Amino acid sequence: MWQEIAEVVTRSILISGTATLFAAFWSVPIAMMLTAKDSKFRVALLDVTNTLVGVPTVLVGLVLYLLFSRSGPLGFLGILYTPTSIVIGEAVLITPIIISLSALVLRETKAKVWEMAVSIGATERQASVTMVAESLPRLLMAILLGFNRAIGELGVALMLGGNIKGFTRVMTTAIALEVSKGEFELALTLGGILLLVTFTITAIVGKVGKVR
Amino acid sequence: MIELKLVSFAYVSEDVIRDVNLVFSPGVTAVVGPNGSGKTTLLKLAAVIYRPRVGEVLIDGVNPWSMSEKARASVRRDVVYVHEKPIMLRGSVADNVAYGLRVRNVPADEVVVKIEEALEALGIKHLAHEKAQTLSVGQQQKVALARALAVRPRNLLLDEPTANLDKSGRENFMELVKELRRKGVCIAVATHDRLLAMELMDRLVLVENRTTKFIKNP
Repeated sequence: MWQEIAEVVTRSILISGTATLFAAFWSVPIAMMLTAKDSKFRVALLDVTNTLVGVPTVLVGLVLYLLFSRSGPLGFLGILYTPTSIVIGEAVLITPIIISLSALVLRETKAKVWEMAVSIGATERQASVTMVAESLPRLLMAILLGFNRAIGELGVALMLGGNIKGFTRVMTTAIALEVSKGEFELALTLGGILLLVTFTITAIVGKVGKVR
Repeated sequence: MIELKLVSFAYVSEDVIRDVNLVFSPGVTAVVGPNGSGKTTLLKLAAVIYRPRVGEVLIDGVNPWSMSEKARASVRRDVVYVHEKPIMLRGSVADNVAYGLRVRNVPADEVVVKIEEALEALGIKHLAHEKAQTLSVGQQQKVALARALAVRPRNLLLDEPTANLDKSGRENFMELVKELRRKGVCIAVATHDRLLAMELMDRLVLVENRTTKFIKNP
């Protein structure tokens, strides 16, 4: 049993970690772009992103399922019911969260740090680099919140992964399965581990975030 | 020398500064006026942080807003603006003071010397290795002033520079400003401190009703 639990936990961390890395890779630059200059278009785009933060995971799962299914436009990729599809689904799911939180952090830093940097002689590029450097601990927190959402979601993992034992089974899908079987002990153990993982990562990043 | 020619500026739609004509020349210009009158906005326009809605800001006769970003940054380096609320970067006091020098690509050995001189001038040499963000506001204000002094600007714009300083800090600051004035630096000080203004100023700018009144011999 413990071997299976360890395997599921490792897979969950790897899938959600990869999804978070991908999402951060494009979300932070988008947030920078949205906060670089004020324009009605950028404000509208940010409003749309903020709205998407609360999108139900099953809706994301459904849309991607239709895209990846054999008869869907991306069916030729053959990635439905693979860890790759869960990574894509989770990355899509957490993109609005990371953009929204990063934009908030960058906007706040811009008001202070960017102006100070420019006023002491930095070029706009140097000021932007300083702004991002000063925001890093808090940007890391935003990315971590994305990871926590990814590792704790069920809809995408179930619809796109299919909960295949030894292949796409992650903590949340395993918990759902064990509950449906009446195996509450295993479900609670997995739930406890899920909480422990998120607490540990939150604590580590929280410590990094306090570095002055 | 900084010259504002018929400058108007609006944050949203309504002008907060309108048709201002003003010259900040070498020596000390005190900028006074009630809260919300636009003193900070005026200094930020002069510091080439804000772009005027209409009109021109000239730094030594050059309009930086008509130039490329790179050229503007070069002109902007002749002007340093120090915020009322000190803004500290992560890292030590020395790192903060070094910032303006590093963005100018000053050689490392020269940076060390200039940091030391600036910290010495503000009497905060003992804080060099302290984390800047953990200091008191008064100490941070001194660090911000040291950061400005380290780059030896030809134009120095100070927004309420003594707001958080104690008596000795204030006296030290006044001596520094007098020294800079002797060196021919163009200094503008936005302040509520009448005593400070009286003691230091060569000229006075009164900001009121979105415009300014320049008094040469206050």
